[in-house]
Amino acid sequence: MDTIHACFKEKIGEVLLPGDVFSFRLPESGDGSIKSEKIICGPGLRRNGEEVRVCKSGILRHKQPNMYWIDSQQRRYVPAKGESVIGIVTTKSGDVFKVDVGGSEQASLSYLAFEGATKRNRPNVQVGDLVYGQFTIANKDMEPELVCIDSCGRANGMGVFGADGLLFKVSLGLVRRLLAPQSEIIKDLEKIFPFELVVGMNGRVWVKAKTVQQTLIVTNLLETSENMTSQQRQTLFKRVAEGSL
Amino acid sequence: MSPMKLCVPVHAGERLCSTEDCIPGNGTYLRHGSIFASLAGYVLRKNEGEELPVISVVRETEAQLLPDVGAIVTCKVTSINPRFAKVHILYVGSTPLKDRFRGTIRREDVRATEKDKVETYKSFRPGDIVLAKVISLGDVQSNYLLTTAENELGVVVAHSEAGAQMVPISWCEMQCPRTHAKEFRKVARVQPEYLQA
Repeated sequence: MDTIHACFKEKIGEVLLPGDVFSFRLPESGDGSIKSEKIICGPGLRRNGEEVRVCKSGILRHKQPNMYWIDSQQRRYVPAKGESVIGIVTTKSGDVFKVDVGGSEQASLSYLAFEGATKRNRPNVQVGDLVYGQFTIANKDMEPELVCIDSCGRANGMGVFGADGLLFKVSLGLVRRLLAPQSEIIKDLEKIFPFELVVGMNGRVWVKAKTVQQTLIVTNLLETSENMTSQQRQTLFKRVAEGSL
Repeated sequence: MSPMKLCVPVHAGERLCSTEDCIPGNGTYLRHGSIFASLAGYVLRKNEGEELPVISVVRETEAQLLPDVGAIVTCKVTSINPRFAKVHILYVGSTPLKDRFRGTIRREDVRATEKDKVETYKSFRPGDIVLAKVISLGDVQSNYLLTTAENELGVVVAHSEAGAQMVPISWCEMQCPRTHAKEFRKVARVQPEYLQA
């Protein structure tokens, strides 16, 4: 029975709006043999009884064998469990730091959630520092909690960072493209000059290069590559690489 | 019921009479051979047919039923926290309360087994209706302490993220009939005689 997949397939790559409905006309077959197919509804799609509704505006994407989701542009971050984000420490109250992650509430970060931290050996974290951490608790009913330690107890790249460099904000779609396994943007940028990069899933990116001018160039390239096709991006990067030599 | 003897309101701590005249009733206490009022209200003297009349202090409205230790209460979850859940107590047994009392369900009182592995987010959510038992009245400032560490206690009514009322499928899961999504709750096992077909 291919009606479900056919319904979706004709809309792949199209822009959908919230409220669009996929309803499936199940064939009333006399022999009673209906092959049931499993479909995984990703973000932006929700099942409502016998139909699937679109909840976010964006483009319908498909991944084999049966996963469908809506690719949407969004700048506002909603904390989700397991995501790694860049936060800014705002207050230090007792045993807990309050960290601004760009969501509706500030996240709490315990001082014991760092590698090698004990009650006597407190981590060196000041107000205004940048921290890279993961969410252990993040839902709409409770205050989010961050940790800078993984389940084994090791830092694994998390913790306080960023003595110099520049922190700026991009959209969540660009962040997902940067964090993809074979990101073209990163590969093209690497060829221009070396730099350090930290990408947080809350839309925050931190960059540091050898000089201030190079840092600013990388920042501008990342911000503009959001709305460019790969062709335009490669010509731009080539121009910059030639100009900086 | 004989008419009120005194229509003058009485404040708490006022001496009403001595033990030889009356028997203390609701809203009064005995101290040093005299009966004192423990509430602010009206004095009521009733002739029960025994030797001495019963003296009690009542407020204008009827006496409030207070949750007692060991009582089963119905409450609604207002907020959750990794360490405890705050609730409003709505019913004591089957009588509704006029005011909402506040209660707390601590993380270690949610379940009887595996107490340290309890996650509040997987047991209750704000808006759930929960059956619980009172374990302590608390101090002056703190709330009633409640527990759900029994099979018959826990979440009775819950709404899913889509807004539909969920159906329990096991002691720790409930399912939404519209989106078929499963959510975790500490579900109460309702007695068979209370289930309507």
